[in-house]
Amino acid sequence: MEKGGFRVAPVTIDTTKIKHVRKTPETALEKLEDTGLISTVLAAREREGSILFSTIDQVINWARLSSLWPVTSGLACCAIEMMAVAMAHHDIARFGMEIFRASPRQADLMFVSGTVTKRMAPRVKQLYEMMPDPKWVISVGSCANTGGPYHESYSVLKGVDSIIPVDVYIPGCPPRPEAWLYGIIQLREKIKNEGYGATWGLDK
Amino acid sequence: MNAAEELKNILPDAVTEIGKQGKKPQATVKKERLQEAAKKAQELGFDQLSVITGVDYGDRFEVIYNLFSYENKHNLVLKVILDHDKPEVDSLTTLWKGADWLERETYDLMGIKFTGHPDLTRILLPEGWNGHPLRKDYDMETEQFVTIGRDGDDVVSTDGSNLLRRK
Repeated sequence: MEKGGFRVAPVTIDTTKIKHVRKTPETALEKLEDTGLISTVLAAREREGSILFSTIDQVINWARLSSLWPVTSGLACCAIEMMAVAMAHHDIARFGMEIFRASPRQADLMFVSGTVTKRMAPRVKQLYEMMPDPKWVISVGSCANTGGPYHESYSVLKGVDSIIPVDVYIPGCPPRPEAWLYGIIQLREKIKNEGYGATWGLDK
Repeated sequence: MNAAEELKNILPDAVTEIGKQGKKPQATVKKERLQEAAKKAQELGFDQLSVITGVDYGDRFEVIYNLFSYENKHNLVLKVILDHDKPEVDSLTTLWKGADWLERETYDLMGIKFTGHPDLTRILLPEGWNGHPLRKDYDMETEQFVTIGRDGDDVVSTDGSNLLRRK
């Protein structure tokens, strides 16, 4: 990734050294541990649920991927599918993503949903640059991925990744909401494996 | 008698040819007398100018006006043939206000000049774009990019280094 991004270095934890003393999750903390998002160790059994061991990477990544706020921007017909994804049938509120922010300053995810024309391209780039770090981009649909049916056109950019970095590409024209959900899950997997401590030099 | 034949009867020397475009009656009009013919068509009840299109045939341009009458539910197609070197025709904005943006679009993409138009500027592409993209001789090899200038206006250039990530 480019400036301000994070090195994608999956943190491996030697699970053989972690002593699990129980079989089934009972308390809230144990259930959280059971989700697999944080590999935690309960250290103080005498005070149930009071101490939580994890790595900074895992906690921060878990917090980030659990509430991705997209910026409200739609470029073409894919934006109609984006509305469908946000509605009750497909319901991205399950991912904590239902808050489409009207300002890029408050968003950390951008769906490039539709045809990026030459005239719109500097605006899309400006929107991306206005978003605070950390930020992610999902390119949605054939037009945003490669130019699609307008690849030979005088007025359409040949892929939005020529102006901004893209994390996940969702193919389709337009992609069905199920494809969006799959793309969102792929981005969550990616964020889960990002190395945050590495940017602080903690990996040395 | 359809509308094209009626127009031919009224202006026999301005209408050079009548025929059909699909199911719609079509009249080819001399470009010098387009305004006169359009005025007569409006008097016949064609109160709406639906769309203006331009066609580049390589050796000539054609501008096609689709008219519709709300009262009689009739269509009429007017056509003018223009020189390829100097495509100019009178504007119809005095007859139909809606001709304004339609003529600007035809000017933007085909480069046909409408004399008498109040504001003949580009409507879809930014000012400064080189060429008219729907012409047959448009240069598709040089790619043009748009960036935002200091005052917020669109700036067109063939150099995309401000916009693109990699060269």
